[in-house]
Amino acid sequence: MTDRGDQHRTSLFAFLWSMPLLKRDPLVAADKVTDRALVSVVAIMTFLAALTVGAAQFAAGTAARWQVMMASEVTVQIKPQGARSIEGDIVKATDILRGTSGVASVKVFSREDSAKLLEPWLGPAAGIESLPIPRLIAVRLDTTQPPDLGALGRSVAEAVPSASIDDHRSWTKRLGRISDLLLAASLFALVLVLTATGLAIVFATRGAMAGNREIIEVLHFIGADDRYIAGQFQSHFAILGVRGGLIGGIAAIIVLITLNLTSRLTAGLLDGISLSEVAVPGLEIFGATLLVVALVGLIAGIASRMTVHRTIGRLA
Amino acid sequence: MQAFSNRPLGELVRFENVGLRYGVGAETLTDVSFAIEPQSFQFLTGASGTGKTTLLRLIMQALKPTRGMIALFGQDTSELNKEGLTALRRRMGIVFQDFRLLDHLTTYENVALPLKVQGREEATYRAEVTELLSWVGLGALMHAKPAVLSGGEKQRASIARALVAQPELLLADEPTGNVDPSLARRLLRLFVEMNRSGTAILIATHDLSLMDQIEGARRLVLADRRLEVEASHD
Repeated sequence: MTDRGDQHRTSLFAFLWSMPLLKRDPLVAADKVTDRALVSVVAIMTFLAALTVGAAQFAAGTAARWQVMMASEVTVQIKPQGARSIEGDIVKATDILRGTSGVASVKVFSREDSAKLLEPWLGPAAGIESLPIPRLIAVRLDTTQPPDLGALGRSVAEAVPSASIDDHRSWTKRLGRISDLLLAASLFALVLVLTATGLAIVFATRGAMAGNREIIEVLHFIGADDRYIAGQFQSHFAILGVRGGLIGGIAAIIVLITLNLTSRLTAGLLDGISLSEVAVPGLEIFGATLLVVALVGLIAGIASRMTVHRTIGRLA
Repeated sequence: MQAFSNRPLGELVRFENVGLRYGVGAETLTDVSFAIEPQSFQFLTGASGTGKTTLLRLIMQALKPTRGMIALFGQDTSELNKEGLTALRRRMGIVFQDFRLLDHLTTYENVALPLKVQGREEATYRAEVTELLSWVGLGALMHAKPAVLSGGEKQRASIARALVAQPELLLADEPTGNVDPSLARRLLRLFVEMNRSGTAILIATHDLSLMDQIEGARRLVLADRRLEVEASHD
């Protein structure tokens, strides 16, 4: 980033830090060190929560995309069997597949292609041609009108006894479970972060009220009621919470935008993975970040309100 | 200052056989009985440690009596709820011995505080507060914070804050304790003017010369844990 850019960034955070729109005529004596520490803690918590939610959404999106891709393709495997001509079996199977309604395309892997797939395990040894390598047929399905895979499997097996169809069901199930697990973990992390934020607000509010005990006493003597005094403390800490939440949220959005651009630029460069196979963070992640910020603000408001009302009775 | 109108004619304060004990020790105040009439002027006096501040704190409901009855503005305080207590405190002005100004607010903000906490908009009281500050000689210091004010200036700001809501009763705890004799006389004149405009005054002091300056003021004398009410001194 250039110096000019740094200045812009500094002034943006300085603006958020002081947040003139959220300033009010304070009766609570502000302890700048405590206030800044609280804003920093809430900002860090919000940043981590937003990133956790964003990362989980990103991973879940990619898993869902892969699930769809896997569900739209089946693989037919034909094993060499005794005196049967494997090439003849491939032709029979391909004819059946091409003649089935709901099959969009059929791609036969040649013997060389199959050998290449085995290369990472067997090495490029010359004798690989002499091995009885199974042959694969990749079948892309029309997802709008998919064929009956059971009936298709039976038809192929009748014509070619050594053929089997893999519809990737076990893999899509596993991906689904992983995706659910990631979302659950991110929700759990979000709950932890929100709890920690609430506790930080509670302790800061309690400390400030104990430190402002004399002010509270004076306010009572000059005719302020509990609701008015509570409102002063409550809004002070709720505003600090919202301020920290916005700073953390904006920082998270900046990081997510950077991730978005980076993933768009590098997705096509990844070996074997096309751009369409990677879920790039979209607007929904920014929506989730704003939701996290709103939740942090809400927690800050509730935590300070509950603490103030509990503490003020004791101090009065 | 504007004169008050439509006031109830009953007693503002009534103590009947009030006793106060801190913990399990002997009573600090015993069988205290007296009343404060509207628009009256009285001193509460006695040697240091006889309980002047304690008695003021009983009136302002910072302390509860161990026994006896306290009525404020005709209401038995033992039956007061929080809302009732706030309503009564809004009818009193309090000048603390140690001023109790809020250090992070300006003189103007400190003085305006009793009006602000009642929920009034600043536009409705700005002129009133500015005029009052000029009246107590702090017009030029309204934007200064307490840290830069002298003891006398803080005392005047504290008096102005006690007066701004036009209370029916003003309690002042050693209001001249931190100022020189000349300023003490000026502050006393302030209290007399307030009394003329309708506020009942109770000043706690041990300064005999101060009390001698006010003709017709009643003296409530604390000695040996008891209170004696002396007739008006002319």
